[in-house]
Amino acid sequence: MSAESPVLDRLEGAAEALRGLANGRVVRVLGRAGRRFLDPGDPLRREALARIPDEAGLSGPMARLLLDRMAGDWAEDALERLLGAEFRDPGVLEGFREGAAGDRTRALGDRLAFHLCAGNVAGVGATSLVRSLLVRSPVLLKPGQGDVVLPTLLERAIREEDPVLGAAAAVRYWRGGTPSALEDEALERAGRVVVYGGAGVIEAVRTRVGGRVPIVAYPHRISVGAVAREVAGRATARAAAAAVAAYDQRGCVSPHLVWVEEGGKTSPARWAELLGEELEALREALPKGPSEPEEAARHQQLRLEAELLGASGAGVQVRGGAGTSWTVVFEPEAEFRGGCAGRFVRVQPVEALEGLPSVLEVQAELLQSVGLAADAARREGLAEAFARAGVSRVTTFERQPWPPPWWTHDGQGPLRVLVRWSSLEE
Amino acid sequence: MATESQEAAALETRLRFFLGGGHDSFEELALAVFQHQARVVPAYRGLLAGRGLDPGSVRDWREIPPVPVRAFRSLPLVSGGEAGAARAQATFRTSGTTGGEGARGRHSVLDLSLYRASVVPNAARHLNPRGQPLRVIGLVPQPADRPDSSLAAMTEILAEAWDPAGGHFVADAGWRLDLARLGQAIEDARGAGLPVLLIGTAFAFVHVLDEGLPGRRQSGPGKGTGPASGAKASRWLLPPGSVVVETGGFKGRSRTVGRAELYRGIAGRFGLPIGRIVNEYGMTEMLSQFWERAAIEDEPATPGERTLHGPPWVRTRVLDPETLAPQEEGTPGLLAHLDLANLHSVSALLTEDLGIAEGEGFRLLGRRPGAEPRGCSLVMEELFGGHGG
Repeated sequence: MSAESPVLDRLEGAAEALRGLANGRVVRVLGRAGRRFLDPGDPLRREALARIPDEAGLSGPMARLLLDRMAGDWAEDALERLLGAEFRDPGVLEGFREGAAGDRTRALGDRLAFHLCAGNVAGVGATSLVRSLLVRSPVLLKPGQGDVVLPTLLERAIREEDPVLGAAAAVRYWRGGTPSALEDEALERAGRVVVYGGAGVIEAVRTRVGGRVPIVAYPHRISVGAVAREVAGRATARAAAAAVAAYDQRGCVSPHLVWVEEGGKTSPARWAELLGEELEALREALPKGPSEPEEAARHQQLRLEAELLGASGAGVQVRGGAGTSWTVVFEPEAEFRGGCAGRFVRVQPVEALEGLPSVLEVQAELLQSVGLAADAARREGLAEAFARAGVSRVTTFERQPWPPPWWTHDGQGPLRVLVRWSSLEE
Repeated sequence: MATESQEAAALETRLRFFLGGGHDSFEELALAVFQHQARVVPAYRGLLAGRGLDPGSVRDWREIPPVPVRAFRSLPLVSGGEAGAARAQATFRTSGTTGGEGARGRHSVLDLSLYRASVVPNAARHLNPRGQPLRVIGLVPQPADRPDSSLAAMTEILAEAWDPAGGHFVADAGWRLDLARLGQAIEDARGAGLPVLLIGTAFAFVHVLDEGLPGRRQSGPGKGTGPASGAKASRWLLPPGSVVVETGGFKGRSRTVGRAELYRGIAGRFGLPIGRIVNEYGMTEMLSQFWERAAIEDEPATPGERTLHGPPWVRTRVLDPETLAPQEEGTPGLLAHLDLANLHSVSALLTEDLGIAEGEGFRLLGRRPGAEPRGCSLVMEELFGGHGG
């Protein structure tokens, strides 16, 4: 085994000291580091706001919203809730603690973790870094292109707050798919690999790691929405528009297709119109970033195709804003289809939301979140049916793009997948 | 007064004259073809009606509304609509690998003779200006095995035009290559003293290079890209005057083998200068092709610096992807083609391909190398239907 990289040596060298830290200290340090990104006077926040729009292709207002939401999740109380949600007694991260069955258990991170992100939206890398430190795993993070600034600045903030935690985090970017000695060595030395990316990237990592150590994979997914007849109207359209607009719909939590139940005061076709009006309003309030040409090209193809279909009497209706700022396509037939063209969303009528699970089940592997707008009386029953169909997160449109730190990310506890357990029996 | 069908026949006669090298005005023909298509292609007629656009009011070919190539997946964009499609002599399909049948584009060709009338003179101009006999070898299936492949059909048309023996097709219906047959076909050509026109996709050539020579041990991808040597290797050398046509595989997607590297490999394996390797950019949705000029004039040997050229009956515009307004010269944008040979479908096409105008031609731009599409949802596009080609 080669051991040539000073950064990996440094990270591994930090493992023991990191394991000696109490939860309170880790949470405090991360919380203080996170708070700096919310303080308008802090140079870190200013730098983040100056650099994120360019690198992530987001407008200034969108970058600000993203930073506010992300950094808000790194607040002390949010991190404490995360620990509490993941571990019955978060003390298991400090030492053996009595478990529910009586014997004592201990949760341990790795001496070195390697987190590898490819092609994600801004914020994924920094969140991954925080998770690793919470379970006391020193981490090398390779952020995705377009998400380098935030984890790099967070790493700096952590280092400035606390030397022990600071020594346990490193962010290094290299272009994905290119030969990297550091990547080779990290894959060889890490006790756990976390990978975010397309099927090809994940498969390549699996092949290279070859079952030696656990791999936590977060493949690309898409999200959808469902609107019950009793709430179909302006308010749900507005909330859905905000969910579509967040990170210009590039997140795995961004809805691409909304099913609207027939039989309400607002018909599905009318709801699609309202959604368009709300997206138009956001065009100025929360502008889209500069489109990548490939994304704009796809947007044009999809929009013009829909216009042709509409003109052919297929019942398709298409509405769009200037350029490729947004497009809403109303399709009379319910069929699971994506778009991935940046604020391009389909609306389809369904007779009853209760019929959706059979559609969702087929696509469960591709699905991330379902934004569900329905009366409280129906919500839980629908969520139960969706969950049985394989959906890992049912949420509201308001919360859809901003999952809380403790969300069941792709159906798994975000910290529990990063530890191994040890038990002490008497 | 002439009936509609008489008018259509007159237009077709005029178009064939133009394809055959006769003198006519592209601008006038484009408007006449557009007005014809606006009458006979139902979906196109609907689009124009939906926009309140009177086809007769269009005075400039640049104002002819293009259809997105993606719409070939969902609509019968052909004269007579579904009924026309049912009468088609050939139905070419795009090569989408995922997303099911519905995600594959469908170009119904009502009259293959019009395809031939476009393919041959255009290819001749760029590959074989003197029209000399060639041995045509395709790393493609027989058209009878793959009637949906426009590339197989094009290869057959060129073989019928130039190869006294009618050409060799060395792939089966599943696009698997028979390398022994390839070697044999090359040897035969040498024996017959005929230069070879070797046609294949980039993927097929990568496969040929990676597989190595039959009867010779090679291991690992990329090992086969060096110059071949030894007695066995010599049977792969193409006779002097041969041309290799590489098509597809570089648009829209990053690759593990770069084009320059691939061309070096091809040049080494088949023993011809890189200047005799030519890229063809064709689309299932379009009956005419674009060619590099490397084989007929001094073009840069570096493939990345070459430009693509269509025939006189095709014009290409570069549009702002955001607004679809014309880009300024030298600014990359979306390619929109107007192909008069698409008489029986739709001539004005908006592609998903990015390119940049250069001189009389254009260069195709691939995705930024090494970059995964931004955003964790983008790749889903592939799951809902791959890029045509």
